[in-house]
Amino acid sequence: MKILLMGNPNVGKSVFFNRLTGANVIESNYPGTTVDYTKGYMRIEGEDVEIIDVPGAFSLEPKDKAEEVAAKMLRENRDATVVCVIDASKVERGLYLALEIMEEGYPLVIALNMWDVAEDKNIQIDVARLKEILGVPVVHTVAISGEGFRELVSKIKETVPVEMDKIIKRAGGEA
Amino acid sequence: MKLNVDERWNLIEKISKKTVTFGKYQHTLKDAVGELTVKPLTGIPIAVAILYGFWSIFGSFAGTLCTDGFFVKIFDGHFLPFMQKVFTGLPKWLYYIFVGDPLADNCFEAFGVLTSGLFLAIGVVLPAIFIFYLMLALLEDIGYMPRLAVLIDTVLHKIGLHGYAIVPTILGLGCNVPAVTATRILETRKQRFIAMTIMAIFIPCGAQLGIMEEVIPDTIGLVLLYLITGYFIFGFILNKMLPGRSPEILIDVPPYQMPTRRNVVRKLRMRITSFFKVAIPFVLLGCALVNVLYLAGVIEWLGNVLAPVFIGWFGVPKETVGPLIAAFLRKDLAVAQLSAIEMTKYQMIMAVVLVSIYFPCVATFAMMLREGWRELLGALATLVVTVFLYGGLMHLIGIVLGVA
Amino acid sequence: MQTSNYTSTERRSGVNKNKFGRVYFGILGVVTLFFGIMDLVATLRGESITWGILEIPGDIFPGGWGGLIVLFAGLFYLAGIRNFFQIHQFSKVVMGSILVWIMAGCDIFAWITESIPGGEEGPWLNPWGNFLGTFAPPYTPAIFLLPFSLVVIYFIYQRRRT
Repeated sequence: MKILLMGNPNVGKSVFFNRLTGANVIESNYPGTTVDYTKGYMRIEGEDVEIIDVPGAFSLEPKDKAEEVAAKMLRENRDATVVCVIDASKVERGLYLALEIMEEGYPLVIALNMWDVAEDKNIQIDVARLKEILGVPVVHTVAISGEGFRELVSKIKETVPVEMDKIIKRAGGEA
Repeated sequence: MKLNVDERWNLIEKISKKTVTFGKYQHTLKDAVGELTVKPLTGIPIAVAILYGFWSIFGSFAGTLCTDGFFVKIFDGHFLPFMQKVFTGLPKWLYYIFVGDPLADNCFEAFGVLTSGLFLAIGVVLPAIFIFYLMLALLEDIGYMPRLAVLIDTVLHKIGLHGYAIVPTILGLGCNVPAVTATRILETRKQRFIAMTIMAIFIPCGAQLGIMEEVIPDTIGLVLLYLITGYFIFGFILNKMLPGRSPEILIDVPPYQMPTRRNVVRKLRMRITSFFKVAIPFVLLGCALVNVLYLAGVIEWLGNVLAPVFIGWFGVPKETVGPLIAAFLRKDLAVAQLSAIEMTKYQMIMAVVLVSIYFPCVATFAMMLREGWRELLGALATLVVTVFLYGGLMHLIGIVLGVA
Repeated sequence: MQTSNYTSTERRSGVNKNKFGRVYFGILGVVTLFFGIMDLVATLRGESITWGILEIPGDIFPGGWGGLIVLFAGLFYLAGIRNFFQIHQFSKVVMGSILVWIMAGCDIFAWITESIPGGEEGPWLNPWGNFLGTFAPPYTPAIFLLPFSLVVIYFIYQRRRT
């Protein structure tokens, strides 16, 4: 089993990676810290799982070299499960990437990271509702302190690919 | 089923309407202070102050406390005499390579692999690298770098880059090797090429800065001024000459954060470890190579052959050919070697600038090759032209001012 | 506006604080600005100026460069005193103090690094007397400004409460 850690630049993917694998990749508070991918391993329920820290991307149509690497990593790992890290204070642009990945047919788990920053900015997200509409697990996390990690890991094996039309139906249900 | 861009944004809007509520956003003092650091009128003075703090702490810690306070004493007073005594029995050439000049009373002049080599690596460069990376890690984790990028955006557009190019440039002040990889955050090949080339040519690394602080404290300001000026002049020229786009970007400014000790310590440890792995072997190897070349007479021969270029075009003594060879392996080593050569103040400035802009060190070279051989060849061509033009120009300035 | 939530006494005390803050940081701003200008003058003349226990360095680093920052700090203070309690104004006063802290912090750090080693001929560590001697006057302008700049912390604390 393989896990790809993806998301927009500077949402804390490298912090996730270090937390999950115990590895050491450079983390910084600015976008573009990771421009190349890094591999690491963790154990989930007794199985060795390969995790790849993918450079930050806004979409799968690459605009810079880091995004190129990201799109290529996704293409080359058709059997992977994607953990999409989203900045909870900038949900929309994170969802854009997440939807693109789901359209490609990858199973996905969403980590709403920097939950604390969103709270500071008075942004509230209805996690249960989001989970229901998207049909994939959504976990809120604070990567720096490790909040929400246990739940995230437990959800990785549960997720399955979701069809777009189902999401559209659920999102458009009452609107 | 796949969506197009508009359909996707529509869907996202629907989803976010149902799940996200934006409460009233209150400006906190943190936000207001943060805004001051981004607006040009207030941000530039603040950046000047931060730079001052960086430089002051760098000099106090690495120069005053570590090198002058303890390491010079340890190496000159105890280690050098000890080595000179222990290795007395060695054949002359071996003694010369490993211990150096038997009459030297300090580690800047002895120039043996185990005397000056170790002194430079551990006594001068290590403290410099340590304090540089510590402060860099703090600035990075607080989140100051993107603000700096916003501030300098307009200026960097003039040389075909945008604000974000400041990130690889500042990383380059620590070590050019990771900085080459960091240029990948730029969008087009043109931008990457410009950023990589002028960084490799004009940005001195932390090791070199540490040595310069130590051996030419009075003139380091002028040397840096020459380098920064060159950075912009040649960036400007490259931008005009090269085809390709330099797109505008929106810089994402993350919130200020308290750095966590765990992350700062880990980053520092990783970067110091890679310094030990890459730099120390090269410093020692460089020392050995230069000593062997001296013994074999190669350097003297090269010096004589190149003398017209050195004296006529650049206005530096022909002895600088030795340090220039060492500069290919390690710039810090080369600057230290220069300090042992008899020169006027002007010649010293000239020689140090030459060592800086001439060929990137071998590790940077290897990294650039990884980014593509065409880029590397282009960078090398630029470099040769730059060294001759800029070196000649500086000599001319010296002649006009009457100091050359 | 938030003021409407205050009781009348609170508002009055807020206004008093406001006035006190304006006068205080106005004076501090002028003094800071003056120090900054003197520093630049000293740099242009190329020699340091000594008044009693105050010493203004005359070189480019730390002198001129540092003087520029002290000057900026003074300007920040003066720019922030109008509508002192309004957050965007108050933040400028805070920034003025932060600049003074950067300067003073660097000076103090430089002392510490000078005071520990025993010098070229001396022992490894400075003996106690010499160690303390490093901290004796004269002092740079930033060190004089430091205690007065700390008053801003009181105002930050005040704001949190209201």
